[in-house]
Order: sequence, then C-alpha cells, then structure tokens
Amino acid sequence: MLYPVELQYSKSHEWVKAEDGVTVVGISDFAQNALGDVVFVNLPAEGDSVTAGDAFGDVESVKAVSDLVSPVTGTVCAVNEELLDAPEKLNSDPYGAWLIKVENVEGSEELLDAAAYEAFCTEEG
Amino acid sequence: MSELKRTQLYDTHVAAGAELVDFGGWEMPIQYPSGIIAEHLYTRQVCSLFDVSHMGRLRITGPERKAFLQHVLSSNVSALDLNMAQYCIIPNENGGAVDDAYLYLFEEDSYLLVVNAANTDKDLKHLYEALKGFDCQIENITDKWAAIAVQGPKCKEMLTAMAGGAQLTEPMKNALGTVSLEGHTARVAKTGYTGEPLGYEVYVRSEDAAWLWNRLIELGARPAGLGARDTLRLEAALPLYGHEMGNAPDGSEIPIFAVPLSKFAVSFAAEKGDFIGRKALEKQHSYFVKYMDRDFSDMSGLPRKIAPIALLDRGVMRAGMEIYQGDKLVGWVTSGTMVPYFKTEGEGLSTVILEASGKRAIGLCYIDNDILEDDTVEVDVRGKRLKAVIPARHMSVGAPPFARPLLYGAEEDAHGVGSGDRAPKALELLKKALENHEWRQEQCINLIPSENTPSRAVRLLSGSDPACRYAEHKKILAFYDKEVFYYQGTKFIDEVERLLVEEMRAYFGCTEVETRTLSGQMSNMAVFSALMDWKNRVDRKSEAKRLGYVMNNHIIKGGHLSAQPMGALHDYIAIDPVTEKPAVVNFPVCADNPYKMDVEETKKLIDRYRPELIVFGKSMVLHKEPVAEIRRFVDEQNIPTTIMYDMAHVLGLIGDHFQNPFAEGAEIVTGSTHKTFFGPQRGVIGVNYREDDLKYGLWKTIESRTFPGSVSNHHLGTQLGMLMAAYEMNQFRDVYQKAVIDNAKSFACSLKAHGLDVAGDPAIGYTETHQVIVSVGYGEGPNIAERLERNNIVVNYQATPDEEGFTASGALRMGVSEMTRFGFEAADFDRLAGLMADCILRGKDVKEDVKKLRSEHLKMRYCFDDAEIDEALEQLAAKLV
Repeated sequence: MLYPVELQYSKSHEWVKAEDGVTVVGISDFAQNALGDVVFVNLPAEGDSVTAGDAFGDVESVKAVSDLVSPVTGTVCAVNEELLDAPEKLNSDPYGAWLIKVENVEGSEELLDAAAYEAFCTEEG
Repeated sequence: MSELKRTQLYDTHVAAGAELVDFGGWEMPIQYPSGIIAEHLYTRQVCSLFDVSHMGRLRITGPERKAFLQHVLSSNVSALDLNMAQYCIIPNENGGAVDDAYLYLFEEDSYLLVVNAANTDKDLKHLYEALKGFDCQIENITDKWAAIAVQGPKCKEMLTAMAGGAQLTEPMKNALGTVSLEGHTARVAKTGYTGEPLGYEVYVRSEDAAWLWNRLIELGARPAGLGARDTLRLEAALPLYGHEMGNAPDGSEIPIFAVPLSKFAVSFAAEKGDFIGRKALEKQHSYFVKYMDRDFSDMSGLPRKIAPIALLDRGVMRAGMEIYQGDKLVGWVTSGTMVPYFKTEGEGLSTVILEASGKRAIGLCYIDNDILEDDTVEVDVRGKRLKAVIPARHMSVGAPPFARPLLYGAEEDAHGVGSGDRAPKALELLKKALENHEWRQEQCINLIPSENTPSRAVRLLSGSDPACRYAEHKKILAFYDKEVFYYQGTKFIDEVERLLVEEMRAYFGCTEVETRTLSGQMSNMAVFSALMDWKNRVDRKSEAKRLGYVMNNHIIKGGHLSAQPMGALHDYIAIDPVTEKPAVVNFPVCADNPYKMDVEETKKLIDRYRPELIVFGKSMVLHKEPVAEIRRFVDEQNIPTTIMYDMAHVLGLIGDHFQNPFAEGAEIVTGSTHKTFFGPQRGVIGVNYREDDLKYGLWKTIESRTFPGSVSNHHLGTQLGMLMAAYEMNQFRDVYQKAVIDNAKSFACSLKAHGLDVAGDPAIGYTETHQVIVSVGYGEGPNIAERLERNNIVVNYQATPDEEGFTASGALRMGVSEMTRFGFEAADFDRLAGLMADCILRGKDVKEDVKKLRSEHLKMRYCFDDAEIDEALEQLAAKLV
C-alpha cells in the first residue's frame, strides 16, 4: 500500500494536493484496494460547489457504490473526464488518476499527513 | 468472525490472499488479488475454480425417497435418469420458493440434493417436517464431501487429462459421472452457475479437496471468488435466492412462476401427486399460459416476472432500485452491476474473440408481466432516471465451447429490400454460377459424405420437359388398383415412374417402393405418419395416439436429424407421461467404440421398453447396423415392433459389400437418393410386405401418406433423372460399391500413416462405409474445415460422440464416394491424405497441388458412355439450351 509523503489525506480516504493555486482531489491506494475493481465514477460538473464532509460524487465497484466525500469546500474548476471512460485508472494509478480540482478553497476536513494516515488505515483495516 | 463456518479449502484461500467475507454464515472468498473482473474474464476465456463446499449437500435414502422428493420438490423426479441431474425448486404451500436446488442421481439407491448455503438449516427444517409418513432418511453430508466448480472453456481438457483420458460424463448438460482423478474418486456433474457451456461441479472427499484445487491450478485454472460467481451468473441470467427468489424489494413473496426457469423446474405430472405448493403453482401457471398469448387483462395472480435488464445510459444498476415507465412504478432491479466481456471481431462462425474487454451495466429485475422484450423503461439510480431496456438475454451458450455476450443493439441490420434494374444482377448471377460450378466440378476435391455429383445424363434428364409439370396419381380400387392420373400429357412420366419403381425394387430386393417423396426427411415423415395412422386404425373416433416408444440413434452419437423428435419425428412421437419427455430410447454404444452399437445392451432395452418402432441408421456412420441380430431377437422374444432402416447415407451401398437390409430383416427402408446413391436430390421408401401380410395395410397407408399426405407436385424432372441413376446403379453397383468401401479403408489408413488421428477400429481399416472421421482437436473442427476449403478441399466439420455441439466440433467427417466416381483410387487418396496432413498439421498452402490432383480426375465413372449414348445426350442438350 502506498502513502506518498507529499499528499494529505482525509479520514474518508480521499487525498489532497495543492498544485498551481488549486486543490487536487483523488482517492487513496487504501480506498481503491478496499473498493475492488472500479467500474464507474460519477463526478460533479465544472462550476459546482463542493462542501467539506459532503458527498460530491460516487464511485462504483463491481461489488458496491461508495460516496466520494469532499475534503475541502470550494468551487470545482476541473473534472478528470478521462475517468468516465477508464474508471479502472483509479485502481491502477490512484495517485495519478485525480478526480476533481477545486479553487476558491475556504475550508477543509481534518487532514492527516502520510504517516498519520497510514497509522489510521492500519487501525481501520 | 470466529463463529463463522469454514470450508475444507479455507487455508487454501487464505494462502492465496483471498479477501474473505461472511456469506450465509460461512467465511468465504469474495475475490482473490486479481479482482472480480479478471476472475470473470478468466472464467470465460480459460477456466476458474470456485469453492462451493459451503452449499448444503443432503443425501436422501430409503425405500420411499422418490415419493418424498416428488412431494417436496417442484420437478418430476421420475424424469431423472441415473447419472443425470435436474434443477428444481423447493416450493412452499403458497407457491413461493423455500429455496432452489439441484438434484443428482449418482447411484440407484440415493439422491443428492444440493441447496443454498444460507438456506441449509431452513431447508432441513422444512424437509424434516414434510418427511413425516415417508419411509426415507435425510443425511447432511456437507462436511464429508467438498465441492469445487471447475468452469470455463478449458475445464474439460484439464479434468479429462486428470482422468487419464476417460470420459467424465456424457457431453450433455446435467450429465453425471464417477471417475478417478489421478487415483482419487470424484463425482463429476456437468452443471454450474456461471453459464459456461463447459463447466463441471466436482465432488471429492474432504481430505482430497486441497489436493484437487492445487492440482487444477498447476494445470492452468485460477481461483475465483463469490464476486465473480455473482457477475457470471448475472450475465447468464441465473436466479439467486434472496434476489430473484424469496422476497421481492417490496417485501412480497416472489411466486415461482415469475422465474423463467420454472418452465423447466415445475412439473404437474400425475406421477407427482399432490405435492407441496401444487395448487398455488397451478393457479400461477394458468396466468402464465395467458401471458404466452399476450393476454394481460388480469395479472392479479402473477403480477410480475424476473427478466434481464440492460442500462442504456451511463451508470450502474443495483438491487432494490425502482423501475418506472412514465410515472408508473413497474418493478425493481433484483441484481445489478457492471459486468465485463471480451470484445469480438468478424461475424458468424468466423467471429474472433479478442483480448480487449469492455464492461456493461446489466442486471435482472422483477417487473410487470405486460412489459415485453425490447421495451424501454427508466431506472431510478439514486434520484436520477436512467434509460434501460428489457433484452431477450445477456448472453448465449449456443456456440460452445465459449459463452458469448449478446450486447443490446448489436444484432446485424436486417437485409435490405431488393431494388433497381435486375438485368445486370441476372448477368452477375450467371457468371457467378459458372464460377461456382467450375470451382466445385474442376478444382475442388469434394469429400462431403452426404453429397455426390450426378452424371451428365442424370443432370440433363432432370432439366428436361417433365420438369415443372404435374402428374398427381393414385391407385383406384374400382380399376383393380391401377394408377389413375389427374392430368393429361402424363403418359411418358407414368411409364418412367413404373420403370423407376421396378428398378428400385430390384435394387432394394423388396416388394414395394414409393418414389414420389422429395427428400429423406419427407420419406421419414410419410412413414412416421403412416405408422401413427396404422396404429390408430381401430379407433378413428378418438384423438389419434402418437408413437412410443421409438428406438433410434442419439444425434450426438451420429443419429440422423430426420429420425429425432426435433426432426421428422416431431409431430408423431408420444410424450412419456412418467418422464414428460419424448418417448424415445437411444441405442447404447460400446464403451470402447462410441461409433458402434452395443448389441447386448440394446437387446436389454428392447426387452424393457418394447419399442413399437426401431429406427436404424446414422449420418456419422462407420459400421454396419446389426439388423439381423435385432430381427432375430425381437422374433425370438415375440416383441411386436417395426424395424426401419433410414439408409440416407448408405443407400448407394446396399448390397453384398455392405448390407442387404431387407434380407437381414428390415421391413421399411428410407433414404435420400443423392449421397452414396448418385441420383438427383429426392427421397425413396422401400417396404418388404406382401399382399397377404397383415402389415400390407401399412404399406397402403405409406402410399397415401406420401400422396396426398406429403406431396402433390413430386418434381417430375428429377424423377426422370432418378430413373437414369437407377439404371447406372443397377449396372455398375458391384464395382462402384467395392471401390467406395476399399477407397474409404485405404484413405483412412493413409491419413493415419500421414500422422492424422483417424477415429474408429484399425482392425477393420477404421470404417465399413464410405465415411472416414478424423479428430483434429476439441473445438478445432470449424477452423480446420475452413482452412481446408481455402485449399480447395471441402469437408464437414463434425462433433464426435463426446462433444457438445457443432461449434465445439473436434472432428472432420469425410466421404469418398464422389471422388471415387471421378476415378480416385488408393494412390490418389494417399496423395490427398499427404496434402491434408500438410495443410492440417503444418499449415501449408496446398491449393495448387489439390487443383492439380483434381484436374487429373475429371471424367466420371460408373455411368454409360458409349458413342450412341453420347450422341443422344448431345441431342437432348441441344434441345435444352
């Protein structure tokens, strides 16, 4: 299981990265592994607002559907359209396959660093 | 999770890194590290192993075991033969399902009932309550025997290798066998829950479970968990208790007749008596029958059905989601997810399965009965209405060895309607016909055993004037049974028909011949119809009784299609009230030679079933039929029956080099006239009854079931051609038949010497007929036959007695009669065998060599060719053009 040190993590297993003034959001390696084969992703549209702690979309594996919980509050400025046709990228490259980019970020969930998140996952899993 | 039960394979799953979940109180693998999608695809492409040891295995013994099972199961237990299994439902009094199950008959004195893991305790309680008053016992053997499902196109190869090449089961679905797998006893069932056309469930003693699992993985199988098992069964539209049976999402109980499989799983046979749920099921069935006619005026007794559903919009359906048509709630999704499939290229038999895969959102639903196939609906996917359709099915098992996905909307477009100027099309047709004629007659080596080339005289006569005219005629008693014709201008064809009957009587060595039937199939139908009419002659005021029992060759063992209930026997065969199946008994075959009838076992079956009709004859035929032995037996035992021999393939071999059917005791011979008999395409019936025989009346009935029963326009042109063919046959019979059989034996030996795998008994030169059968590897028949055609060698691909159907064919069926007519001798067949071996074994292009070999043999033998004949033919040809 990979926990890149340059990222921050929410307890609902999303990762967050600041990049060129916007916040990039994805799901962690631990999350994709628990989901199993991802077969469909439902994402918001550009311009939608997201709220920290609320669902902004969902991800479906063969087994079940799970909410995607936003780690931050702000406005969606980009959506990874590639995932609509190739949702399996979330399994093969969870840290490359980002979900949304958020701008005008006003607040966030409690975020953990890599070491704390790894400890959290070990306890949970 | 310490209270969860574990199967015999628990440690094996843990060692393989399986993700384990609670499934009905069992700690079971949901998936292995490769994931559900990879496991699903590997099952469809190669072979997967599923631990199904958690399912309840109940052994039922005791003198009243059958009566008990008839009482508690929906199916007709009397229809279950030894070494067969049947799907069944355990109904409750309301016509709902306590569970669904599989019933196995591995041994005469006990039944094995396999039920769902989560329901085992509930089922046992239900069964024990019903057991009162029945002298039989139920033993739960779940932990004594383990069960492993081995599913996918390669499973048969793997298990057969472990069985040392022994047959696991008969090739049909639900067949059972007990075999030794590398020294370990295994009970093998051709059943499964993946929809794979090739799939087995293997039962071994608990201590052998891990060994078998690991051994199959060494052979190339991979483990698959409950996740893949669910997507596979969903794609195959197989119901799962708790989703498609039991309670619906609204809490109501799903009636058994809502499940499509109930058509097969529920029986109302008198034999079953008043079984649990019978009344409720009969009521459901009365609604089901109305729906068959699309009468949905009253759906109160059976409101919904289980049907497949496919999402047209992007998304995924899940169990419990509501389905709407407009504002009306019409049902719920009962199972749904995204299911992977392999993409394909090409069409028809040349469809290639690619490595690339796709995914589709499909499911099963419980939906109003008046929603029909191809109707669109909307599924409420978490507040969003997504478009979906009710397809006929998600997948087809009709072309083994692969299960093939049916993607909604992917069917071929309907053919266009013809339009435009037809003159250029007419010219194009003529050019192409010439091309085809030259190709087949001058460049191809034709080895289809059911074909031949008629002589020039036969061809010309078949197209000459009586062609396309009428000559209906009938014997009229008032004129001492002379034929009376209904049309003028028929004196010539009258004479031709009389001469043809005489020639065919001489050829057969029998008393009466009917030549008006147009095909072998029509000949059989006329005979079956006549036999039925003859059977009912004493009582014309009641519904006519059909024929039963009828003994024939099973189609998988080479039997004619035209002697099967699905062929010409269809409307004439009775349904056995005990088994509710067509009253047909198949000839058993020898264990060491599936092409040969086991005569001693056949006699036992004749004694047991007392068949009223015995039909010899096959279309995959290497041996003589034991007509004389069976005739002797039925005469000695005083068994009233009719012996018929459908000689379609071997009609041209009647004689001392093969068989004389009437001399051996057949009463009726039917056949087609264009296979080994080199006439135009027609049928013929011969019988050997004399005027003072009781059964002469049957002959009269055969005549009337031919005309006016089957045909009024009996194709006069080809009847003229047939007379010429009969002259040729009677003139050259001995030399032609000897050459055909000698050539078949020598061709078989040459093929073997060139390294090909020739079927049959080497001690007799592999064959006693015109046919030679070569095994080319399981499922390879269609590819090899296509490759040979590209090299101008035309053969049939053929399923052998061990194979599932024509797309799984592993053999080629060939006949030597046509090339024998063009003068092929042993040396030519040896050359041909070498070219075929080059093409089949080494993939060599041999087309030019084949053309050369053929070009040396263009002159037809065994026909009249003196100067006077040639001159007459020229005159006739000149008039015809």
